[in-house]
Amino acid sequence: MLLQQITNGVMLGSTYALVAIGYTLIFGVLRLLHLAHGEVFMVGAFAGLQVVLLWHVGPLLALIGGLLGAAVVGVVIELVAFRPIRKRGNSHLAPIVSTIGAGLVLQEVMTKVFGAEQTAFPSELQKHVYQFGVISVTGSQLFILGTAAISMLALHQFVTRTRYGMAMRATAENIQVASLLGINVDTVILLTFAVASALAGIAGVLVGMNFNAISPFMGFDMGIKGMAVMVIGGLGSIYGAMVGGMILGIAEVLSVAYFESSLRDAFAFGLMVLILIVRPRGLFRV
Amino acid sequence: MVRKFHMMRVTVAAAVMTAALAIAAKADVTIGVLMPLSGKGASYGQQQQNAIKTFMEKYADLGGKAGKIKLVIYDTRGDNTEAINLTRKLIESDQVDAIIGPEFSGEAEVAFPLAVRGETPMITPMAAKAGIATANRPWAFRFALTTENVYRPLLDEWLKKQKKPIKSVVIFLDAKDAVSSFDGKTIFPKLLKEHGIHVLDSISFQTGDIDYSAQVTRAKPLNPDGIVVSALYNEAGHAVAEIRKQGMTQPIVGGVGINDPRFIQIGGAGTEGVFAASDFYADNPKPSVTAWVGDYVKRFGEKPSNASGEMYDTLYLMRECIKSTGITGGNAKEDRTKLRDCWTNMKDAEAPLTGATTIDKNGDGTRIPTVLEVQGGNFAVVK
Repeated sequence: MLLQQITNGVMLGSTYALVAIGYTLIFGVLRLLHLAHGEVFMVGAFAGLQVVLLWHVGPLLALIGGLLGAAVVGVVIELVAFRPIRKRGNSHLAPIVSTIGAGLVLQEVMTKVFGAEQTAFPSELQKHVYQFGVISVTGSQLFILGTAAISMLALHQFVTRTRYGMAMRATAENIQVASLLGINVDTVILLTFAVASALAGIAGVLVGMNFNAISPFMGFDMGIKGMAVMVIGGLGSIYGAMVGGMILGIAEVLSVAYFESSLRDAFAFGLMVLILIVRPRGLFRV
Repeated sequence: MVRKFHMMRVTVAAAVMTAALAIAAKADVTIGVLMPLSGKGASYGQQQQNAIKTFMEKYADLGGKAGKIKLVIYDTRGDNTEAINLTRKLIESDQVDAIIGPEFSGEAEVAFPLAVRGETPMITPMAAKAGIATANRPWAFRFALTTENVYRPLLDEWLKKQKKPIKSVVIFLDAKDAVSSFDGKTIFPKLLKEHGIHVLDSISFQTGDIDYSAQVTRAKPLNPDGIVVSALYNEAGHAVAEIRKQGMTQPIVGGVGINDPRFIQIGGAGTEGVFAASDFYADNPKPSVTAWVGDYVKRFGEKPSNASGEMYDTLYLMRECIKSTGITGGNAKEDRTKLRDCWTNMKDAEAPLTGATTIDKNGDGTRIPTVLEVQGGNFAVVK
């Protein structure tokens, strides 16, 4: 049972990790908090769902739909809620307010368009159950794990091997120096938002597929958890976000398995506080 | 933050509605309605809104010199704080003669004391938790059956219909929803004990959860003979889907919260064979039910749920009380007392959809519920 529970936790954790990576990418580059990232995740879920409902396509195209939808929204948020404020001097508080605003607008718009009730993907993937020893996994869970792993690997390749990835890391290191060295910082920032949001969009579609629950309010919890994972992983650390996501997912599942569901958040966040006491700058400090 | 937008939308909607209904110059009897049109349980509220529409078209006019029934409708979002504020508003500034609502037991627990203080009759159509009206005599009432009165015949029927006798169960419950939690922790265990059934574990989740894998993995090795799910339709649907996904095939019986077509939509094929019980049942062959359901389906494209039926009948009995007491809406204080007395003494009052209703000394509605089973993607009467 423990093995199965850890598997459950890894499934949940991989979606947390994808959202947290987005947070950490944006924070790494801008040193600013993006509080509408949970809503970008939610928009991704809806975009993926719409693609499936309109064209009756499979899960891969739904992922692409979610990824593109979220990327577009992420870029718009950068242009509307971050850039104008950044150009007028470096306030750390103003973007917090402007992104909360952007998040609320997204939530309201989605409620108006799609209604407040939960909706779900048509479920074909769910049916296959694979048995690995004592662990049983459904098709959709394998798909989630595969997609999350591929996304993280692709991101790793992108930031270490490509010119844009390196420019992104240079900008994260020091924005002024990067710009002096001839990097177009605005483009890099836009790119960062697009990549971070695309990952959130993927996570949105994956959560929608596995848990069959897409609603305009699904982003709020995810946003908070993504942010917490970013902090325990180490601000700006992509690998920290991956590990942190898994820790949170497994901690949540184990607390439900052996204690009460009402203690879940207290247990999971308590564990994170403990980690921060031991390592104040997160697991993988940058 | 989000609250303000919802409030605005609903107030506008209510204003339009009241404006439309207030054209008649005669004195109107104003009744407040509280229900969730967004947020938790929004599906209930939206269905009830449809029920209200059909009711008002047919019965808004009280006939003769009496004028019309005027409704002031507010959205509580299923939120306790909102329920408190809106109850206060209905009693103090809208000066309503009575209030129908709120939807959930949690809301009713906090809103009913205000009705007592404001000396205004308040009737919840469907809040099901035991004792909520009793604690707020003489002004609070419940149209629906208490969960204990629903579950007793439900469990009898469920146990009778199983091929393999049920000796043990696992109870899944929503710890955050007042009535689901109370039923799962208190009412179901008590009734199961009367049948000599052992509760192996009681496993909780929270309203709004989407991942139920850990809970179900915990239940699976216990290998119970049956499963009880005490939750609202969303959470119950997800839980049942996960139960079947992990290969648990035991018979399932649900609490009152699952009486909604959305439970079957969300839970999918896994809901087949799930037992539930209901005050109102859309496929009841009674002529007054078939006529209303036919009209409802034609207009709204879906079958009315328990929530719609209970709202319609609560309004109907309220109108009967307005007529029998002869109030005309002129004097809120007097009208409120008269309506309260009418509800207190209600005996075998024929409600068109759910049947003869009596209010007992606890302020609770009593009648005979219908036991249902999901068959072919629909709730059907167990025969």
